[in-house]
Amino acid sequence: MKYAYFPGCSVEASAHEYGMSCMAVNKVLGIELVEIPDWNCCGSIDAVHAYNPELSLSLSARNFSIAEAMNMEIVTLCSACFFTLSRASKMLHEDPNLKGAVDKIINDAGLKFTGEVKVRHYLDVLINDVGPSKIAENVKVPLKGLKVAPYYGCLLVRPPQVRSFDDPEHPKSMDRIIEAVGAQSLDYPDKTRCCGASLALTDESVMLEMTKDVLLSAKAIGADCIVTPCPMCHFNLDAKQEDVEGRYDLKIDMPILYFTQLMGIAFGLDPKELGLGRNVVSLKKILDKIKTPIPAVAKA
Amino acid sequence: MEQVQKNTIMNQKADSTFLVEMKKTAAGKRILDCIQCGICAGSCHARFAMDYSPMQIIKMVQLGLKDDVLSSSTIWICASCYTCTSRCPRGIDIPLIMSSLKNMAMENKVPAKIPTKPKFHKAFTEIVGKYGRMHEPQLQVKLMKKTSPKEVLNNMLFGVEMFRKGKVKVTPSRVKHSKDIEAIFKSAQKKEEVQK
Repeated sequence: MKYAYFPGCSVEASAHEYGMSCMAVNKVLGIELVEIPDWNCCGSIDAVHAYNPELSLSLSARNFSIAEAMNMEIVTLCSACFFTLSRASKMLHEDPNLKGAVDKIINDAGLKFTGEVKVRHYLDVLINDVGPSKIAENVKVPLKGLKVAPYYGCLLVRPPQVRSFDDPEHPKSMDRIIEAVGAQSLDYPDKTRCCGASLALTDESVMLEMTKDVLLSAKAIGADCIVTPCPMCHFNLDAKQEDVEGRYDLKIDMPILYFTQLMGIAFGLDPKELGLGRNVVSLKKILDKIKTPIPAVAKA
Repeated sequence: MEQVQKNTIMNQKADSTFLVEMKKTAAGKRILDCIQCGICAGSCHARFAMDYSPMQIIKMVQLGLKDDVLSSSTIWICASCYTCTSRCPRGIDIPLIMSSLKNMAMENKVPAKIPTKPKFHKAFTEIVGKYGRMHEPQLQVKLMKKTSPKEVLNNMLFGVEMFRKGKVKVTPSRVKHSKDIEAIFKSAQKKEEVQK
């Protein structure tokens, strides 16, 4: 199993542990992710798009141009990059005038592209190419008794019109992974609510209100931790959790993991390789429960 | 027979070119498909922070209420979560319509209800133009209210904590073929200027 890997900007920085744990898990499952050489910003959902839509689509197109030469499907970890690249491919496919305009921009840079390359999320690969049974076969430390709330967020499954491998209202892919590693996956009402995304940078009070709802909803059903497939969701739920607690005078203390970290723990991988010391809210509670030590933050 | 006058209140403020302009955009071309069912308004996770619901914004665009739409908080609060579009019986891409409205508001230099928002779009685009990729710390610094010592201090403390957790990449990651990015930006920006 070999794919053209699009890391995206967050996975290189604030979501480093997501990339680390993904690579560690890949070794176990025999997935090969070949980084798209010299990739650039996906084009952004809205940050660049609202400023200049054709510029945003052209940024996506440069990535397509490089990936198309690799002759493999594009796989990304970030829900936002997944959505942005998928939407760009769809818009360019459906609108010949738009495709013409972006072609012109891309040709000016001495490049060309078709836009027909398939874009997939890593979770899709795990569920549909690898399969939950292969994941279960590799479990060394079954996470028995661990109650996990899967938080899907928005752009992994929405909107179905763009490209979807799971149900937009009641997604199940991450639940199946949680169950494959022996933990209990919890059903709760807010697993596809929005965390507030980039409002974190521009209107923090709105983001805190939205993130609070997700955290409290998972806490109310007795979750030991939340797992997520998105760097933006992870940042708001994890790094901003203390701000949520401060603003609403709450004690939440909810560990937030990437689903790849949870898999790595169950595979018995080195906690350092999984970046478990990089999560902001301490993972001690759950790691004690499954008897795994927290490593110090290692230089990557 | 008595003359029935429609949209009496709106008439004075309506701008007939607004709908025409919006119909030229990728998602706006389907704006008249809206049946005002209200599913978007009921589904929106950020509705509590908006002055108008997404459904109202769509209707206001149809009516040509350009000033009210472009000065609304709604267009900036939309987080592009796509719950509305997933549920819209007509499959209208509402976040993309909001995106076009932001674009129009920025081009017309309409003062934004959330002043950081236009700065966010500009700063984000500039950083990507410089490196070909996002560099998170620079975006944070560009958006910080430097006039508020409390905010500056809080941001610094947060930055230190993120650094301690290994989440800050001090040196920006950059695209090696920077000429590609330069050419794309130059071409896309030139094109936009011609259109204006």
